[in-house]
Amino acid sequence: MNDAAHETYHETYAQRIARHFMADSFARNGLRVVIALFIIAALAPFLANSHAIIRVADGHISFPIFPSLEPIEWRFLVYVPLAAFVYFLRARFSHRPGIGLLFIIGIVALVELTLAATHPINDPTNDRDRPASFKLMPPIPYSPIESTPDQFSPPSWKHLCGTDSTGRDIAARMLHGARTSLSIGFVAQSIALLVGVTLGGLAGFYRGWIDIGVCRFIEIMDCFPPLLLILVAISLFASQNNMFYIMAVIGLTSWTGLARLVRGEFLRLGSQPFPQAAQALGASDFRVIVRHLLPNALGPILVSATFGVASAILIESSLSFLGFGMQAPTPSWGDILSDARRYIDFAWWLAFFPGLAILVTIMSYNFVGEGLRDAVDPRLKVK
Amino acid sequence: MTTYLLRRILLMVPTLFGITLLTFLLLRISPINPALIKGAGGAENGRAMTAEQREQMIKFYDLDKPAPVAYCKWLWKVLHGNLSDSFVDNRPVAKKIAERMGLTISITGTALIISYLVAIPLGVLAAIKRGQAVDRSISFVVFLLYSIPSFVAALLLILLVAGGDYLDLLPMYGINSINASAMGYFPWLWDRILHMILPVICLTYASLASISRYARVSMLDALSQDFVRTARAKGLSERLVIMRHALRNALIPIITIFTLEIPVLVSGAIIIESIFTLPGMGQLMFQSLDSGDYPVIMGLTLLIAIVTLVSYLLADILYAVVDPRITYE
Repeated sequence: MNDAAHETYHETYAQRIARHFMADSFARNGLRVVIALFIIAALAPFLANSHAIIRVADGHISFPIFPSLEPIEWRFLVYVPLAAFVYFLRARFSHRPGIGLLFIIGIVALVELTLAATHPINDPTNDRDRPASFKLMPPIPYSPIESTPDQFSPPSWKHLCGTDSTGRDIAARMLHGARTSLSIGFVAQSIALLVGVTLGGLAGFYRGWIDIGVCRFIEIMDCFPPLLLILVAISLFASQNNMFYIMAVIGLTSWTGLARLVRGEFLRLGSQPFPQAAQALGASDFRVIVRHLLPNALGPILVSATFGVASAILIESSLSFLGFGMQAPTPSWGDILSDARRYIDFAWWLAFFPGLAILVTIMSYNFVGEGLRDAVDPRLKVK
Repeated sequence: MTTYLLRRILLMVPTLFGITLLTFLLLRISPINPALIKGAGGAENGRAMTAEQREQMIKFYDLDKPAPVAYCKWLWKVLHGNLSDSFVDNRPVAKKIAERMGLTISITGTALIISYLVAIPLGVLAAIKRGQAVDRSISFVVFLLYSIPSFVAALLLILLVAGGDYLDLLPMYGINSINASAMGYFPWLWDRILHMILPVICLTYASLASISRYARVSMLDALSQDFVRTARAKGLSERLVIMRHALRNALIPIITIFTLEIPVLVSGAIIIESIFTLPGMGQLMFQSLDSGDYPVIMGLTLLIAIVTLVSYLLADILYAVVDPRITYE
């Protein structure tokens, strides 16, 4: 009894949430799958590439996979381990874990991943048929935008997930498409988070006219027919064909739920004594909002943001499916699916595999969100 | 209550104004130019517009006026009950919308009712068996269904059961067979039902997750109330406790979220309607966006916004009606 009390005394809020979260098997495995998906996305050019990793011919060793990479890939490959190393040093020599630094590393990695997604491997040569005394090919020896002579090949050992109308390997396209889908979900939701928390926070903190104005604005955004705003906004930037526009449009149209949530939390917290105490001690409005109110509302915000990432991925794939999303040559899951629609009477693999990829991603995110919800909600906790 | 209602209704006016103004401006700055599109489409059909005709059309539809002036003219017409005419076929917008409403309401309405009829028992069951295998498998299955994008499900269902390489049980698209007009009433109805099965399935399965989760939470809430303990303490059977005491109270919040879903009835489902080529509201919206038919887009936006706002209000009123503890001043 005494021991238990002793232990919980030392447990911080974050640790308690982490413990409850990891105790839930759905949530735990969901988180593992999400992390695995991000690793797969980051390593996509090494998993699916028409160039050999190691090639020995005429007594020379070469690594053809590296020259095939786009310049952007090099940045991604250098920055991320460097940032991780810096983080490691900091964690090793100072006892504070430095969440802020980790956050910055994550954002840098994501931006690089996003940029890399729009530059798929563009080197038309391949090492599959070139003679060599020894060669080690990546697991999927095809590049995402490389056309092979096998058109509409059903799944086989040669093409694990089949090929499409121009003979592109679906497995390779899916691995590289993971970059597009994952980074769109994450970045779009970050934009929504920024807008939603700012507007909702201002409305909840200042109340009065600001609150009325923000509430009208939320109501206006909510009244638009689903997809209308996104479709019109995307047609504004149709000529740009830029992934960042699609992210921005999805983000700027899906912040209302978050804003409502943050507003409600701030209204609830604002009437409690601690923000008033902080104000009485002379803290500025900004400080009260950022240091006192926001940390207390973080749990529900995080939960809602996790579900938001899942829904942003769904929106992106629907947009690509309707032909408004990412355009060729950038591979994305929705793009394969829109191809599937044309050949649906026989090419089931065009719909099945990307559909499965979306399903696994969305489901993992939702389990993570659900686990977080249970972990931060004191009412629903199993004793 | 009356003052509350009045205030809410008055607050709708600026919102509606904002929505229509925002849509109008967005459409104006977007590169979708109806005059150009119509001219191009006409050329294909051998009916190219002369420069003079185009001028006339631009003038007629106020495309030469600055956006605020054109918006005011549109608003003036709407206030006189006229949603103006479509660009594409010059028919009144109100008529075009009315034609499509029936189909969309019948499909989305059926889907909505079925999803509630399936999801509420699932959620209640999960709450009663909380933490057990039943609860976990229900939540796994509804999340699995929720995570399948509706268009993937639609494509695979078409492939499997509607004339793909496998089974050919159901029609692939459309809302009636070609010879439907020659049928008697009951064969016609049967034909219509066959055509509706796949779209309704695709619209139903994904919403099971949110509704059943909601039902589960509100049932758990009800089960933890004092009156449930009292009911058990006085020796009622578990069945009576659940059916008569807990369930009735758990249904209160569910009625409210049901109201919030009314807007879907008129906005339709763009993707499902376009896959199954159903001439509903979603298709109308998509086609008008594609052809820059802005009177239709404006009309649809206005209609959907009004329905959304009214259903929000209805939800708040219902909340007070079913739960006498809530009052609005």
